[in-house]
Amino acid sequence: MKTFYTSVIELRQPFDQTIETHPYECGWADEAIFFVELHDPEPGTGVELRVQISPDGIRWIDEGTVLKTTSTTFARVTHFGGFLRLAGTARQADGEAASATVSVRLALKG
Amino acid sequence: MTSFLSGFFDPLPRILVADDFDNGMSGWLDLRPNFVAPGFREHSADIDLIHWGPTMLSSATFAFGGTHGSASGTYSLKISSRAAAAPADQPPVAGSMGLAIKRLAVPGDARRLRIETLLAHKVEQDRPGLGVDDLRAFGMFVDLQDDEHRYMPGVRYVNAVDGEPVRRWQYYSPTDATDEEWSYGADGWHKAGVDPQWFGERGPDGSTVATTWFEDGEQHLIYNESDDKLNWTPFSLTVDLVNRSYEEFRVGGRSFRFPDGAHPTLAPAYNDIEGLLNPVFFVEADTDRRVSLFLDSVVVSVERGEAA
Repeated sequence: MKTFYTSVIELRQPFDQTIETHPYECGWADEAIFFVELHDPEPGTGVELRVQISPDGIRWIDEGTVLKTTSTTFARVTHFGGFLRLAGTARQADGEAASATVSVRLALKG
Repeated sequence: MTSFLSGFFDPLPRILVADDFDNGMSGWLDLRPNFVAPGFREHSADIDLIHWGPTMLSSATFAFGGTHGSASGTYSLKISSRAAAAPADQPPVAGSMGLAIKRLAVPGDARRLRIETLLAHKVEQDRPGLGVDDLRAFGMFVDLQDDEHRYMPGVRYVNAVDGEPVRRWQYYSPTDATDEEWSYGADGWHKAGVDPQWFGERGPDGSTVATTWFEDGEQHLIYNESDDKLNWTPFSLTVDLVNRSYEEFRVGGRSFRFPDGAHPTLAPAYNDIEGLLNPVFFVEADTDRRVSLFLDSVVVSVERGEAA
């Protein structure tokens, strides 16, 4: 049997404009899905989040996957080395920076 | 995958679980509150209990040393805080702790309980220098309930307070706080003595109303000389389930003596949890840096039968 684990990395976490999720070690896993959920956003407010990988959990590099949502979404990721996180921003419909409350769940399998 | 107990472990005769994290999370997960309020909100709002740092399987990989691995194999359980801390005399703030729990039940006739692990405590190597004094504390307690009492025997290593080294062990002891005082003034869910890792008035020296310092409790555990070097240190706490009292505590090469009959707060029993056996490990930040507690195998064992 493969190992499976879902971590609720961020639970109803308020972010002010800039979003960076907790560095998560998951080198054991072959595949991952980030589930992203916005809580009660102002109309038009959304987040744009980049999947990032890291050799050490400190220094981060964009993996290439980008999530955009005003409600809920997910992104599949593979071949990510040892660490994963999401980084990005929350913005209003007119592009102005915004606050957002976000839950991020990371489903891992390997 | 194979699991075996190394000579670091000295379990009681009946091993309940021996969790080698090379085999997965083994039932350890983040300690979270009860989401039973309307809208799936948490059961009480006395302090922020939903933003502690997440637990993960770690290879202990660092920027300059590469992968440290675990004492046996590659993976350990990493309990992490976020980059936040309150002063020592204040309630814990959101994210200042990380906690991992495993939920079991006491088998029949168990009269002694032992929790063992190999552990290491580290501060995130996010800046030059040595971070040892940015980690306030780590510890372990067991959430237990029999037909009369809920009680949480446990120990806590106060490593540093407000950036100053302390390096002393304490254990959870009885409090005479009211339930309301215990929960920082909130009239809520919690009985005095329950969840001593975050409830109960705190002092500026790292103590709380429900902790007692061990006599001769000073111990300079191995942090090592860099934030990326781990030494797996054996830890063992034994509890007398018949008398609800402490029996034995060993860490590294030391053995710490409890006063005769020492025990934690004996709270009234809660509904629908009789017989639970929930070990919890935790770590606490002292400053705005993430801190971690790494555990290699965790072994939970009991001795059954009549008292000798």
